[in-house]
Amino acid sequence: MAISDYYFQMCDALPGREGLLNFNLMCDNLPVLLKGVPLTLELVFISLSLGLCLALGIALMRISDSRALNMIARSYVFYFRGTPLLVQIFLIYYGLAQFEAVRESFLWPFFREAYWCGILALMLNTGAYTSEIIRGGLQSVPYGQIESARAMGMSGVLLYRRIIFPIAFRQALPAYGNEMILMVKGTSLVSTVTLMEVTGIARYIIAKYWTPVEIFLIAGVIYLVINFLVTQLVKHLEHRFTPYLQHPK
Amino acid sequence: MDFLSLMAFGDSGWGDEMLKGALMTVLVSISAMAIGLFVAVFGTMAKMSNSSFVRGIGNTYTTIVRGVPELLVIYLLYFGLNNAVMGIAKGVFGYDQYIELPVFLVAALAVGLISGAYSTEVIRGAFLSVPKGQVEAAKSVGMNKFLIFHRVLVPQVLRYALPGLGNVWQLTLKDTALVMVTGLVEIMRQSYVGSGSTHEPFVFYITAALLYLVLTSVSSKALNGAENWANKGVRRA
Amino acid sequence: MINALEIKHLVKCFGDLEVIKDVSLTADKGDVICIIGSSGSGKSTLLRCINLLETPNSGEVWVNGELIKMGLDKKNQPQPSDHLQVDRIRTKLAMVFQSFNLWSHMTVLQNVIEAPIHVQKINKAQATKQGLELLTKVGIAEKADQYPSNLSGGQQQRVAIARALAVNPDILLFDEPTSSLDPELVGEVLKVMKSLAEEGRTMIVVTHEMGFAREVASKVIFLHQGHIEEQGTPDEIFKSPKSKRLRQFLASNLEG
Repeated sequence: MAISDYYFQMCDALPGREGLLNFNLMCDNLPVLLKGVPLTLELVFISLSLGLCLALGIALMRISDSRALNMIARSYVFYFRGTPLLVQIFLIYYGLAQFEAVRESFLWPFFREAYWCGILALMLNTGAYTSEIIRGGLQSVPYGQIESARAMGMSGVLLYRRIIFPIAFRQALPAYGNEMILMVKGTSLVSTVTLMEVTGIARYIIAKYWTPVEIFLIAGVIYLVINFLVTQLVKHLEHRFTPYLQHPK
Repeated sequence: MDFLSLMAFGDSGWGDEMLKGALMTVLVSISAMAIGLFVAVFGTMAKMSNSSFVRGIGNTYTTIVRGVPELLVIYLLYFGLNNAVMGIAKGVFGYDQYIELPVFLVAALAVGLISGAYSTEVIRGAFLSVPKGQVEAAKSVGMNKFLIFHRVLVPQVLRYALPGLGNVWQLTLKDTALVMVTGLVEIMRQSYVGSGSTHEPFVFYITAALLYLVLTSVSSKALNGAENWANKGVRRA
Repeated sequence: MINALEIKHLVKCFGDLEVIKDVSLTADKGDVICIIGSSGSGKSTLLRCINLLETPNSGEVWVNGELIKMGLDKKNQPQPSDHLQVDRIRTKLAMVFQSFNLWSHMTVLQNVIEAPIHVQKINKAQATKQGLELLTKVGIAEKADQYPSNLSGGQQQRVAIARALAVNPDILLFDEPTSSLDPELVGEVLKVMKSLAEEGRTMIVVTHEMGFAREVASKVIFLHQGHIEEQGTPDEIFKSPKSKRLRQFLASNLEG
């Protein structure tokens, strides 16, 4: 294809090892690393979605009246926020495989795949943090606005749908935007269990050609771009959903 | 082999190795946090400076370090610093051999750099939260800039920054797990080695998880105590 | 003739503290009842017991001849036993709050049409038309598409009044509506309230504004430590107060 030829010609024009960095190499390997981006984005999207559903459930358990549900939710959040993501990934991928019971169960096709182990770990991790974000959002709804809704005869699902959730959502948006970025960065850890997303591919190239600094630099740039786009998305959402925080027209 | 015999102390079990790993984790975390706070002071000053160039440097630092996965930062510093030192040694002294910096130093620096970016944001936010009236009141009784800074600003900034810095500490503690890739023997590395040797990964990683839980919950209790002390005399919501 | 509102022997406790001790009152259609008293006398609590934002420990609340059914919850605390009845009755008892409590994520107009559309199931076009009329009535129609945070306190309170009127209530409850306002904004709100009284609306107003009570009320109730110490027409209360405590209260509330 003509475009890729032009691209590699342009790369050859860059300086090689004379300076501190081999720009030629960086340029050549950028397309290779970019091949990992779809997997990275897939992991982010699926983990965030599943994690969000889980977090809603956990948040509701947390604010429920049942002591048992409350305890379960609190323990879950305590565990996943108190341990590093890496431990959680290793426990699921390496740890579970140790047990015969797991290897012979119907779930084994999932647990032997690094992909599903990675998603499970990421989902459980983000679920814990997100549930706290949701809980914080719900608790920050000014009580007066709930009262005035009640005074007008609103209650139950209507009250949640029209008043509580919209306000809680807007309060939680910045914090959740931050969580999305943490999730993007979290996907790089699944490279330690053989998944070939961006970091995984980077480590593979480095193992072959031994040019760690250059490769990790471009990998870093790729993540910066992804995170920049996520930040812009969140800013746009904030702008769209909180017009009342801006100046009057 | 069951859990207890695996984790026994002494030669037969891994218990003492795991605890040594935990000690290393704590040491790296403390060093990293300290480095981070040191960096954060400069970072905050940069971000609040009048020169847009200096502000730009501060913003670039925090944006990059918070936007790139920690694993990459650690890898980059590990390989980058070694290569840089080797480059200098070759260029200036003509020394050709492979140099490796002490792993602890690199690990603490790497995590410290990451920790510093978050601490910068916390301290900056705390500075901005101090009500202007506090400084104005100090000025109106004739305090000079130095007095205002260390009698009025610093205590207040500390009070506002404490919860955020507590969070950064917990983050730092957990980020040290990633320095296992440098070979430093902290909790994760030790678990990795142990599970490879005994083929009992679950036992080791569960122990690792427990150790981290103990460290984070003890930290959490201590931080709550510190917050209560810092907030004495203040009515809280 | 059925009274608009009837309260019989209301008692309300917060823990061990008895805040309302056996209060009874009636309001006829078109009455403007002002409840005055010092802080801690239980005025706001009494008002909030009417629309069940607080649940009375004992006593009866009759709205338009309908008794609000009470029961006990799991922890043996008082609780209305029919939530649907409460929701329905609340639309007849619209309330204006001291801190306005407009919904921050909705524009002024959206605030006003929210309950008519979602609680009373009126169609949007009709609710919007009514809403704009009400906003014009309180003098704030030009701010219809603004958000509450862009309005002054007095403007927000007028929107709150329009919002309360939008559900076409039988009784309007006002909980210290001007206490959060700067002095120069108090007047615009009182003006609106006065015009509502002149229209013949049934209003129950908890207030510190003695001038308003004197001019507009049909009956004034002086509450002291949870009891009705004295009640009567504005003339009786303000010109010839009988009880010593009322005289003390009036003396310490000299208007400027």
